[in-house]
Amino acid sequence: MGKGQPSYTDEEFVAAIRRDDDRALAQLYRLHFPMISNYVLQNSGTDDEAKDVYQEGVMVFYEKVREGSLELSCQIKTYLYAVCRRLWLKRLAEKTRFSGRLDDHEPFLETGAEADLEQAEEKERQLGTMAQALDLVGEPCRSLLEGFYLLDKSMQQLTDDFGYTNADNAKNQKYKCLVRLKKLFFNQYQESN
Amino acid sequence: MKTEADYYALFEAYRAGGLGDAERTALEHRLAADPALAQRLQEFEELTGTLTAYGRRQALRRRLSAIHADMVAEHTPRLDLAKVAEQDERGEQFATGQAPRPMLRISRTEQKLRAFWQGHRATMMVAAAVAVLAVFTTLLGLEMYRTSQQSTSSRYGYTMLRREVERIKRDQRSMNRAITQIDAAAPTERVNPGKFSGTGFALTSDGYLVTSYHVIQGADSLLIENRARQRFRAEPVFTDVAHDLAILQITDKDFTGFGRLPYAFKRGQSDLGEKVYTLGYPREDLVFNDGSLSARSGFEGDTGFYQVSIPVNPGNSGGPLLDDRGNLIGVVSGRQMDVQSAAFATKSSYLMRLVDSLSAAGAGRPYNLPRYNQLGGTTRPQQIRKLQDYVFVVKVYE
Repeated sequence: MGKGQPSYTDEEFVAAIRRDDDRALAQLYRLHFPMISNYVLQNSGTDDEAKDVYQEGVMVFYEKVREGSLELSCQIKTYLYAVCRRLWLKRLAEKTRFSGRLDDHEPFLETGAEADLEQAEEKERQLGTMAQALDLVGEPCRSLLEGFYLLDKSMQQLTDDFGYTNADNAKNQKYKCLVRLKKLFFNQYQESN
Repeated sequence: MKTEADYYALFEAYRAGGLGDAERTALEHRLAADPALAQRLQEFEELTGTLTAYGRRQALRRRLSAIHADMVAEHTPRLDLAKVAEQDERGEQFATGQAPRPMLRISRTEQKLRAFWQGHRATMMVAAAVAVLAVFTTLLGLEMYRTSQQSTSSRYGYTMLRREVERIKRDQRSMNRAITQIDAAAPTERVNPGKFSGTGFALTSDGYLVTSYHVIQGADSLLIENRARQRFRAEPVFTDVAHDLAILQITDKDFTGFGRLPYAFKRGQSDLGEKVYTLGYPREDLVFNDGSLSARSGFEGDTGFYQVSIPVNPGNSGGPLLDDRGNLIGVVSGRQMDVQSAAFATKSSYLMRLVDSLSAAGAGRPYNLPRYNQLGGTTRPQQIRKLQDYVFVVKVYE
């Protein structure tokens, strides 16, 4: 490995990521990117597409680790490869039906990646709906909610930022916003179901 | 009456553990009793949970993008390659047993070409195979066609010298057309010139002639024409395919005989270096050619033939081969195309043997061969003047 960087075993990677160790994540990301990038490029993809697919794959892995629900029956490398391969094949199928035959002659890998991916897709859809709902909820609700839930700002700070007279006012406003978001979110989510 | 926002404030406090014991117990009782309220709580939790997850996801995305940007900034493709190579050295392998592939940087055009090749490989293979097959079939077919065309008159570079009249006829026809245009009043009486022609010469004074077998091969009828354009009908009496000889007999009733033959047939073999000459009809007129006897065997060592260095042409076949003293020593037969001036003639000794055996069989009229040579000691033009009446055009109709 590069200069002065610690090298991790798979178990150490999992443990470090569970602790939310930034360096371990970066290390892991760099370690396996060439493999996925190579796979995507060889199967009629571009650099950007390789990056997207790989990041999605790493996110699935990361979130599973953080939840503590990852049951790794193989190397991290294999897991990532399986996830990314699925993602890419799916994307390729969506992209076009005619150009670029899918290079999917490899043996099916029993990595648990398939099941994890289905969960991840469900979650992806939920989060997508949330993003839409946030877009529709309008200002200042959007900034208020993003400030509280996404950026972890305190109520006092938000009160100052938005010029409310006191924290209770801000809180009331936040609850009203939540109600509006709730309506938008559940409507959309049911529609998409 | 509480608004929904009030409930949310209550739920948040409940989840954060900011409620007093009394309040919490009251709420839990209400939740157990009121399913609508319980569902409201559940929705609240799903909403805030999703929001938080969304926040985390976005944060993570930013982090990964930052990592990626860092990586791209400090890693050139070379380093990526080096990294992969290093991994190889450490013997690290995928669980799938696949070696890590080195990252290739290929241009956009090449990518497209590769994709095209991947997609149409099978089709192109088939097309190429068909093309190759077509080319070879065509070449082979042409070659077979050519050999089948040649096989009748030549094999392995050996060409028999009977003349195809059709070609000349075509020239003549165009000439005739030119003439009739000049002189339209005089209709030209056309004589069928026959399909092939060769040369023949008298064997006996009473109407036997000799020519080459291949001249009369496949003939329906034969016409003999002398220098004075006199025509006689003739029939083959005997043919010898191996030595390319044919004996003809004139069957016309008004034929009286050739008169006394000026030459004699040599029964023995001639020597190398002998000066020889021939007379023949490679065109419409009698043509003289001379040379030497260059070998006592013929094409591919055939001992029935001489090799002579006489320039001969189609139509010379069946012509007499004479030596300086006017002895007939052979019958012109063919030539080798890939050798300079190599003509072949059947030896007269074989002709004599054939005649002897025919006489012994006693079929037809007896063969009265000329005994004395009248040409010895005369100059060549004198010899030819005497000879020319005994050399004929043999015309073959199929």
